[in-house]
Amino acid sequence: MGTLELDGVTKVFPDGDGEVVAVDDVDIEMRDGEFLVVVGPSGCGKSTTLRMVAGLETISSGEIRLTGKHINDVKPQHRDIAMVFQSYALYPHMTVRENMAFGLEESTDLSDDEIDERVTDATGTMGIAELLDRKPSDLSGGQRQRVALGRAIVRDPEVFLMDEPLSNLDAKLRSEMRTELQRLQDELDVTTMYVTHDQTEAMTMGDRIAILDAGELQQVATPLECYHEPANRFVAGFIGDPSMNFFDVRRDGDTLVGSVFDYPLSASTLDDVGDVTDLILGIRPEDISLAGDATGEHTFSTVAEVVEPMGDENTVYIRFEDAPEGETFIATVGGLQQVAAGDEITVEIPEKTIHLFDGTTGKAVHNRELDE
Amino acid sequence: MTRNTDTGGDSGDAVADGGVTENPNGSGFSPIAALNDRFGSDFVESSQFWLPPFLLVGLFVYGAIIWNLLISLTDFNSFGSPDYSDLDFEMYARALADSAFVDAAVNTFVLLVGFTLVTLALGLGLAILVDRNIRFENTLRTIYLLPMSLSFVVTAQFWAWMFNFNNGVINIVISSLGFGRVDWLGNPDIVLWAVMFALMWQFAGYAMVVYLAGLRAIPNEHYEAAKVDGASTIRMYWRVIIPQLKGSTISASVVLMVFALKAFDFLYSLVGGYRPPNGVDILATKMVREAYQANEWAYASAIAIALFLMALGIVGPYLYYQYTRGNL
Repeated sequence: MGTLELDGVTKVFPDGDGEVVAVDDVDIEMRDGEFLVVVGPSGCGKSTTLRMVAGLETISSGEIRLTGKHINDVKPQHRDIAMVFQSYALYPHMTVRENMAFGLEESTDLSDDEIDERVTDATGTMGIAELLDRKPSDLSGGQRQRVALGRAIVRDPEVFLMDEPLSNLDAKLRSEMRTELQRLQDELDVTTMYVTHDQTEAMTMGDRIAILDAGELQQVATPLECYHEPANRFVAGFIGDPSMNFFDVRRDGDTLVGSVFDYPLSASTLDDVGDVTDLILGIRPEDISLAGDATGEHTFSTVAEVVEPMGDENTVYIRFEDAPEGETFIATVGGLQQVAAGDEITVEIPEKTIHLFDGTTGKAVHNRELDE
Repeated sequence: MTRNTDTGGDSGDAVADGGVTENPNGSGFSPIAALNDRFGSDFVESSQFWLPPFLLVGLFVYGAIIWNLLISLTDFNSFGSPDYSDLDFEMYARALADSAFVDAAVNTFVLLVGFTLVTLALGLGLAILVDRNIRFENTLRTIYLLPMSLSFVVTAQFWAWMFNFNNGVINIVISSLGFGRVDWLGNPDIVLWAVMFALMWQFAGYAMVVYLAGLRAIPNEHYEAAKVDGASTIRMYWRVIIPQLKGSTISASVVLMVFALKAFDFLYSLVGGYRPPNGVDILATKMVREAYQANEWAYASAIAIALFLMALGIVGPYLYYQYTRGNL
């Protein structure tokens, strides 16, 4: 168990004559026992970050400290970390028992009996005791996943590194393993860095989420902070499904002027905006509600173009009455509310739920209010 | 087991293991149905496709082997025709008593095992080095594989020059370093190893390519997982990577061993005749000499059978291994 600190970590890959910055000056501090999910779109540098912590990639600049110790130049085999790979990377010529014992045999001086005991313990935890003498080729995907986790657990390392470990499982098994992983991490209390592109995993599993885009760290915060108080437009758009709606607007006095709608702001919101005039208005689909008539200052007449019933809720693609066809935004409304494609509906965009971002930098200038 | 009811009735001589028995009491016994029953439902109908090649291969390959075996049991030599009325194992007894045969057999075996092991080890070493993301990888791979594309005649000729006592490049190099010249091809204690070296030079590239293909099939994550698991590079190769190359090792060694048995062309070209240098006579050269110089046809056939058995001893286990893995 240990703390993990990334301090200005940068990775530059040579690319022909030039170079590509894969990870740009990333600072992350992980508490002892924390579950940190690193999330971002493909190619954002999240896997590279993890591999630098593992020692599988060199660090171009910056520093990585494990429990206070500088480990930049420590070889992977001496870092006291265990890693779970997306492909599991089980050794095909070894049985489950040998796979799990391998790390202990190579990295510790434990006797065979002690190793055997720890392997047996770990298989008990993972519920794979009956698989011990099978080869990986005789296991199902879910079983391999468990063995791969067991192989990490048995090492009892300072840090677990997991590189999209659930992405090869089918949806049902994935959500099962998600719960199980959380339970396991809670029980073992080992500092865990977990890389995924799946924002559901990020939201549900992590103590905190680190969101990366184009190699740059966007925000490190708890899942709910990321959701309700995104640091910038990227985070706001990445976290949440369906994602937040954005409208380019210009501030004119105390009103936001969009291409087809005007949105008056109250004094307290205007305080947050300051003197920025180019803005982006963000609103989450579930914060848009159906209203009786368009008399309020934050109600708008719209047309529903497409309705996707999900059972518990309907995802409705709507457009402002004056907007050209196809220029829609998304609202989710309760599953029992009858909305059909082509309906003219009135929606309310409450002021206390809106987010405002700086149009040029993307930084959040105003986030929604939360009821305490 | 329905067949037992329609062929056997209650006469009781249908066998329990499902084999077909001659059943004189059975009514309506049909040989075609019995064959189909035994070998699969289309056995007779499909025979027009597989039977002609089956018979041709049977005649020219297996028939020839059996004929060879028959000749080895006669006393056939010089001119005339073999006398098949008097078959015995005299030629095999003669072979075992012939110290030249025993020497040739030992040489064949040493060449077979030594050449194969050294070539595999060298090929594996090269493959591991070439696989470590080095520069000019394709060029190096081609350079190492190139000797394989040369004919035995060419390699034998230029190794004969390299090994030449007076003008060979090897002796020039070692004498310029202050060591005495070595009679590579003339010294019976050395010549086998010199030939083995030349063959290894030719085939190490092949072993390398087979291993390289095997290494490429191992995902990168296995290397990385082994490192994160705490294994040093050597331990990683020894415990994780090389065990996964079992299939490559088996297929490469079968090919190499079969080539070692056929080293006849190399030795023939080395000296331009049937009589290789003392100390490197192998069964193949001895067999040809007995047949075409001494006209000891029966004796040469016996040697051929010995060679055949050695080849069978190599290929048999390989075929069995493939069979157990369901590849045949």
